[in-house]
Amino acid sequence: MDVREATVEQLVIAARDGQRAAFAALYERFHRVVHALALARVAACDAGDVVQDVFADAWHKLPRLRDPAAFPGWIAAIARHRAIDAARRRPVLDAAADLAIDPPPRLEAAAALRAIRALPDTYRETLIMRLVEGLSGPEIAAHTGMSPDSVRVHLHRGMKLLRERLGEGGER
Amino acid sequence: MTRAMTDPLYDKTGGEPELVALEAALGDFAHRAPLRELPPRRSRRPAPVVAAVIAAAALAALAVIVVGRRGDPGCQVAGAGFAFAVDGAPARCAGSPAERGTLPVGAWLETAGAATADVRIADIGHLTVFGDSRIRLIDTGAAGHRLELARGRIAARVTAPPRLFVVDTPVASAVDLGCAYELAVEPDGRTRLRVTSGAVSLEAHGVAAYAPMDTEVLAAPGRGPGTPVALTASAALRDAVARFDAGDRSAVAAIVVAAGPGDTATLWNLLARTDGEDRAAVFARLDALTPVPADISADAIRAGDREAIARWRDALVGRWMCAGCFGKSKR
Repeated sequence: MDVREATVEQLVIAARDGQRAAFAALYERFHRVVHALALARVAACDAGDVVQDVFADAWHKLPRLRDPAAFPGWIAAIARHRAIDAARRRPVLDAAADLAIDPPPRLEAAAALRAIRALPDTYRETLIMRLVEGLSGPEIAAHTGMSPDSVRVHLHRGMKLLRERLGEGGER
Repeated sequence: MTRAMTDPLYDKTGGEPELVALEAALGDFAHRAPLRELPPRRSRRPAPVVAAVIAAAALAALAVIVVGRRGDPGCQVAGAGFAFAVDGAPARCAGSPAERGTLPVGAWLETAGAATADVRIADIGHLTVFGDSRIRLIDTGAAGHRLELARGRIAARVTAPPRLFVVDTPVASAVDLGCAYELAVEPDGRTRLRVTSGAVSLEAHGVAAYAPMDTEVLAAPGRGPGTPVALTASAALRDAVARFDAGDRSAVAAIVVAAGPGDTATLWNLLARTDGEDRAAVFARLDALTPVPADISADAIRAGDREAIARWRDALVGRWMCAGCFGKSKR
């Protein structure tokens, strides 16, 4: 099987049987979504570890996933659970933890990220996927199981709120 | 419903300047790391072997009891402790050869020259133990996790509230304030801490060195933690700090002269280690490089007020954690 051409379902079935190359291909397709879900809740310096923990967890639990088509929602659920757990252990208290990554981000980026984190869950997750991870609306829909219309609505409503927040607080 | 021909936010088409600027800035946080090496998958036990597993567990428990009575905790049985896996060369856990297992409280893990051990710090992080190292788990629980590094080198990455993870060395204790650091202990106990992300407090004899990202600090036998210096610090500054840490108070003047924009962490640490005219000189240099915030009393800092000094640190942390934001040398 050519993992580059394989569907998510095919990759899940192969990874479930222990094929690491297939699992690595799933990582390539979903790590940005998982990172976005983590970054919506934990500091940037912790989000990368959450991603690795999520995929290590998924590797062990994948044999129990009966419906391969459910993978996007399943991995997102693990990511949210892990991120909430990490946030409980170490909440994002100030900008410093967002700046402590290598290479360090710009200050205005940290300010914008703080403003996004202040938005409701649905909007911040979608906006981080779009603005931080660089996924397009159709890609977000394909990788999360959301409908394209829902993604579009979330992006536009979230962006409207973000503009208001950035305008009010002068975050940028 | 009729939609516009293009929707830059949804389709990533077109180029609204505001959107492009946001994408460019926030792209700094984009995830690019590759997948870490996967561990062997935990196999699910089929029903027919359940009895055998129970019997094996009972034998293992018995072994733990027997070994425990000899004061030599085993490392092969899952239980309270840190899971580890060794790569590259042999290692010994509780005195026995071990490739993987659980490091129980009280047991030593020793790595040979080419070995590296990956140790999971409960559910809060990872530790890499490099070759020729010796570590011991002192305590682990909800209140915190404590290791002893007797010799060698480790790299730690922790996601936990500050002060939950501590590593003791023969001369100091490294208290994690988050996220990542390296700690090395030389044969004479001399300890070197290098912080790669976040901040660490190196503590001993009632003295604490606050080491933020991209700084290092030495702790020598009988002296406790020295003064942190930036990894980019000049030779002149390093020499002056070494003299100060060895007890030469006159080195303060040389430190003040040599300190540049990248050395504010060094100067801040000296505020609590100096007094009188020395502290005033340190204050003046730090204030010139990064002016004290208006809501913090300069007089209080000159007088050595710990709360005021701590508040100034809180104001400086954003700069220390963000070297690239101010240019390579402006930390």
